[in-house]
Amino acid sequence: MGKASQLFKTDLKGLDRLIKKLRSDGYVVYGPVKRGRSWFFLEIDSVKQVDLNYVRTVLPPKKLLHPPREKLFEFKLGDGFEVSEKPMPPTVALFGVHPCDLKAIERQDEFFSQTPEDPYYLARRRNALIIGLTCTRVDENCFCLSRGTGPEVSTGFDILITDVGNGYLLEPGSAKGLELLKSLGFQEVGDEYLEAKQKLIEELKKSFTKQMPPEGLAELAKSMLEHEVWKETAERCLSCGNCSLVCPTCYCFDVYDVLELNLRSGVRVRELDSCQLLEYAEVALGGNFRRNRFQRLRHWMLCKFGVAGGGLYSSCVGCGRCIVYCPANIDLTEVASRLRGGG
Amino acid sequence: MNPYVPRIAVIESIVDETPDIKTFRLRITDGGFSFVPGQFVMVSVLGVGESAISISSHPDDAEKFIEISVRKVGNVTGSLFRLKPGDKVGVRGPFGNGWPVDKAVGKDLLIVGGGCGQGALRPLILDVLRHRDRYGRVEILYGARTPQDLMFKYEHDVWASVPQGCLLLTVDRVPPGVEWKHNVGVVTRLFEHVTVDPANSLVCICGPEIMMHFAVKGLLSMGFKESQIYLSMERRMKCGVGKCGHCQIGGKYVCKDGPIFTYEELKLEPDKIL
Ligand SMILES: Cc1cc2nc3c(=O)[nH]c(=O)nc-3n(C[C@H](O)[C@H](O)[C@H](O)COP(=O)(O)OP(=O)(O)OC[C@H]3O[C@@H](n4cnc5c(N)ncnc54)[C@H](O)[C@@H]3O)c2cc1C
Ligand code: SF4
Ligand code: SF4
Ligand code: FES
Repeated sequence: MGKASQLFKTDLKGLDRLIKKLRSDGYVVYGPVKRGRSWFFLEIDSVKQVDLNYVRTVLPPKKLLHPPREKLFEFKLGDGFEVSEKPMPPTVALFGVHPCDLKAIERQDEFFSQTPEDPYYLARRRNALIIGLTCTRVDENCFCLSRGTGPEVSTGFDILITDVGNGYLLEPGSAKGLELLKSLGFQEVGDEYLEAKQKLIEELKKSFTKQMPPEGLAELAKSMLEHEVWKETAERCLSCGNCSLVCPTCYCFDVYDVLELNLRSGVRVRELDSCQLLEYAEVALGGNFRRNRFQRLRHWMLCKFGVAGGGLYSSCVGCGRCIVYCPANIDLTEVASRLRGGG
Repeated sequence: MNPYVPRIAVIESIVDETPDIKTFRLRITDGGFSFVPGQFVMVSVLGVGESAISISSHPDDAEKFIEISVRKVGNVTGSLFRLKPGDKVGVRGPFGNGWPVDKAVGKDLLIVGGGCGQGALRPLILDVLRHRDRYGRVEILYGARTPQDLMFKYEHDVWASVPQGCLLLTVDRVPPGVEWKHNVGVVTRLFEHVTVDPANSLVCICGPEIMMHFAVKGLLSMGFKESQIYLSMERRMKCGVGKCGHCQIGGKYVCKDGPIFTYEELKLEPDKIL
C-alpha cells in the first residue's frame, strides 16, 4: 500500500463524527478506554470515552476478531444428527489500534488464511474496519522498535490517526478508509503533515529501552534447546497461561462439545488455549510430551521467537503484555538475551 | 467449505479385532471421499467430542466405504464402542500427508507396526497386495502385547503370502494356554530377519513412540539413512487443519505437515521420545 496519496486532517470533534458515522453504518465500535490504571478495548459511542494517549490495553484487539470463546456450530441429536452453522456476530470497527497490534492482526490474517481457511475468523475480519493510532508514548516494556513492528506502520489499517499537535492527521490505508474520510468532508492537507508525523516518531524512538531483535533469534533458540535458561526460568513459572491469553499473536484453541440438559442438542465451541497449560499436550492414557514445565515454557517462547508451529505468524510483535501480566515477572526479552550470551 | 463441520457417516459394520480394538466400516452419506494411505480423519461422536483416527482401509474402496480401527482409551473412543451398525458419526477429513507411496515405487519396503499403529499401516499393506508390481521386496514386521492383541488376524495369511515378501509377528508375552508359533519379544528383535536392501528401500513405521525410538536406533545401525525412515506421529489434535496448535512438535504440525515424517525431518525438534 505504501504512503497514502491523499491526507486529511481533523480535530477531536471530527474523530467523534467518525465514530458516530461508523455506528450509523452498522459497526459496533470498540476503542481503548481507561478503567482504573489499565486500558481495555470496550464498546464506545463517543471519542470522549477514548484515551488517545494510552500505552497498551490488557487484552489485545484479538478478543474481537479471534474471541476467547465462540460457537462453531449447533447440533441436534436424534436419528443421527443435524448440524447448523450460526450467522456471524455483528461487524466490529476497532478504533485506536496501535502499530504492534496492527502487525499482530496482519499476522493472524495470514495465519487464518492458510489453506484451509478459517471461515469464522476471516468472515469477521473481512467485515471489520480498523482504525490505527500512532503511539504518543512508550513505556519500559514496549519493544516494537526492535521487532520491526512499530512505531511506524504502513499497512494493516483502513485509516491511521496520528496526533500531530495541532490536530489529527488521517491517512487512508484502504479504499474503504478513503471513502469514509471523503464522506466526512475532512480537510485535505499536504505532505508537510507526513514530515511532522515523522519528526514525532523519530522523537518517540528515543524513548525505547527494551529490545529483542529478531535477527537470527529463531535459529539460535532452536540450537540451544538444552540451555540452562529454560529450566531456570521455568522454576519461577506458574503455568498460568496469562502470557498466551494476553499475547496478540497467540492463536491456539481448544475444541469441545456442550450438551443441553435435554441431551438432544448441543454446541461445539472453541476456546482460546495455552501451550503453557499441562493439559494442552496431553494424549490418551495420561501421555504428555510436554509434561515438564520447562518444556511448556520453552515451547511458548520458541513460538514467540518464531520457531514453533506458527512460525512468523505467531511470533512476537513487542507489545510487552506478557511481561506486564506475568505474575512471576518472566520476561522473554531477558531469555532471548541470555541465549545471545548476555548475562 | 467449513473445515470444522463434520460430514455424516453411517456405521455399516463393526469387527471386533481385539479385546479393546474395533474396526468400524463407515459410509459417507453425502457424496465422494478419497484419500491416500496414511491419512487420518477426525471422527465425532457429537456431544462427546472428536478424535483423530487413521483410515485403515484401501483408497480404492473409498467411494463405497472407509474403515477405521479404534482402540478404546477414553471418552470419544469409549462412546464409539457403544455404537451399533446404523448409528451415525461425524467425519472430517481426510487430513495429513500419507505414506510415501510414490517415492516407494520400485523400492523395497520395510513395514514396522506396533500395537494400534497397524491400523495406519494397513492401507499401505493393502496397496502392496493390490498393486504388487509397484514395489520391490516387501517385509512386514508386526508386534503386539499378546497374541489376542493382534489386529487383522483374518488377513495375516494373505499378508504372509505376498510374493517376495514376508510377515513376521511378535508379541511381548504369551498368556498361559494360548497357542503361539511366532516370535516373543519386542518388535525390534525381528530386525535380525530383515533382508530388504538398505541401499534401495523405504521404512514405514507406526506404533508407540517409545517403540519407534528403538526401531529408529536399530535401523540406523543397520545402515538405513535418516531420510529413508518414515514415522507416523501421534499428538493431541483438536482441529486437524493446522489451526488449533495442539499437535505441534516444535516447528512442525503433525496434522498438516505430517502425521508422517522422516526421522531426518524430526530429529532436531524438541519434546519427543523419538
Ligand atoms: C494422526 C493420528 C492418528 C491416530 N490414529 C488412531 C487410530 O487409527 N486408532 C486409534 O485407536 N487411535 C488413533 N489415534 C489416537 C486417538 O486420536 C486417541 O486415542 C483418541 O483421541 C483418544 O480420545 P478419547 O476421547 O477416547 O480419550 P481421552 O483420554 O478421553 O481424550 C482426551 C482428549 O485428549 C485428546 N487425545 C487423547 N489422546 C490423544 C492422542 N493419542 N492423539 C491425539 N489426541 C488425543 C482427545 O482429542 C481428547 O480431547 C490417532 C491419533 C493421531 C494424532
Ligand atoms: S510475546 Fe509478549 S511482547 Fe511479544 S507480542 Fe506476545 S504478549 Fe506481546
Ligand atoms: S504468564 Fe508467566 S507464570 Fe504465567 S505461564 Fe506465562 S511465563 Fe508462566
Ligand atoms: S490438530 Fe490443530 S493444529 Fe494440528
